[in-house]
Amino acid sequence: MDAWVRFSAQSQARERLCRAAQYACSLLGHALQKHGASPELQKQIRQLEGHLSLGRKLLRLGNSADALESAKRAVHLSDVVLRFCITVSHLNRALYFACDNVLWAGKSGLAPRVDQEKWAQRSFRYYLFSLIMNLSRDAYEIRLLMEQESSACSRRLKGSGGGVPGGIEMRGSGGPGAPGGGLPQLALKFRLRVLLLARVLRSHPPLLLDVVRNACDLFIPLDKLGLWRCGPGIVGLCGLMSSILSILTLICPWLRLKP
Amino acid sequence: MDAFTRFSNQTQGRDRLFRATQYTCMLLRYLLEPKAGKEKVVMKLKKLESSVSTGRKWFRLGNVVHAVQATQQSIHAADLVPRFCLTLANLNRVIYFICDTVLWMEQVAHDRAKREESSSQVPLGYSVADEETEWLQSFLLLLFRSLKKHPPLLLDTVKNVCDILNPLDQLGIYKSNPGLIGLGCLVSSIAGIITVAYPQMKLKTH
Repeated sequence: MDAWVRFSAQSQARERLCRAAQYACSLLGHALQKHGASPELQKQIRQLEGHLSLGRKLLRLGNSADALESAKRAVHLSDVVLRFCITVSHLNRALYFACDNVLWAGKSGLAPRVDQEKWAQRSFRYYLFSLIMNLSRDAYEIRLLMEQESSACSRRLKGSGGGVPGGIEMRGSGGPGAPGGGLPQLALKFRLRVLLLARVLRSHPPLLLDVVRNACDLFIPLDKLGLWRCGPGIVGLCGLMSSILSILTLICPWLRLKP
Repeated sequence: MDAFTRFSNQTQGRDRLFRATQYTCMLLRYLLEPKAGKEKVVMKLKKLESSVSTGRKWFRLGNVVHAVQATQQSIHAADLVPRFCLTLANLNRVIYFICDTVLWMEQVAHDRAKREESSSQVPLGYSVADEETEWLQSFLLLLFRSLKKHPPLLLDTVKNVCDILNPLDQLGIYKSNPGLIGLGCLVSSIAGIITVAYPQMKLKTH
């Protein structure tokens, strides 16, 4: 009970729970439609999804200020690439929330002349840019860690006199007795890279969580902007998964990726 | 902006802000309704009030657990009178949140908008004799001097007195008007915002 009280005292936590519920409804609605459920039930699920969506818009009022504050902090980061990616991501988030506020004003009847479609497209564009920046940052962090890991492995191999079985070994052009064929060597290099990537992600859970979360979130604006129509089922599933992962980072703050 | 971010990151902080907005709309509606040519503004205020009121229910979902935990804590208060009063108050809050959740579920299931009940515009009237006026003045002066030395108690008293107008009106026990209710609830929301922004102003049980 104490854990729920502490968790729900954060406004972001409640918004994430509503997001998870909204995408669960979207997924459920799609599943019900596929299996020919009654129109009445489908209508109720859609209504609940609508209520959750509008409720979340109210919960997000004021998030622009939060995003701007985060962008202000990110400007002081020492690494140039991280500084650029994180600042631009937060600025796009701030613009996304601003468009979202306009949509709320339109939906709640305060500004009935708001063009819902136009502002929705704008908000998804800013959301997409923000996600692209997040994924770029993740790719940069992964590259740095892979370089560190492979140079650490080379140092270990040199130290132990070379030829140690197992572990990741980035050999030069061909091992002893190997034929000089291009394709098998490329395949081996690729396999080694993938293994190194898996090792790096396994040993850095916050980075893995962030990559999966951003990758899942990417499907939502791609679908809404018509760039890659994946359907309400995939959007619902990805939205639900990314919401669960962000709830996890709120419950366990050590899983949050820090710059 | 940093202080606003820290304040709005707390669910209670945001909820108090929205509550203040909701009752400001109610108060403004009451003031503008009799005036000619303000129908559009009044309609927008009504829509804003309705949206915020519906949206605030999301802040209250799950607060049953908070109220149960508060009840468990108040049972261990040292003094008998606060222990009794606070435990009873928190138990009633538990039942209130259960009813609120059921009401929300029904609203969502039937997609029903919140029905506005117009309060009757009964003007407040009173008459007090001279001796009683003098006694009342002395009592209020003593009360004010005592409360001035204990700001958390003053804030809590003001908040509860202002809040009580709403249920008294809804239950028909003491019918006032939307203006008074709006003003009362706005003052109590501001008091609530102060206790979230400055935790030392929150009344603690010993």
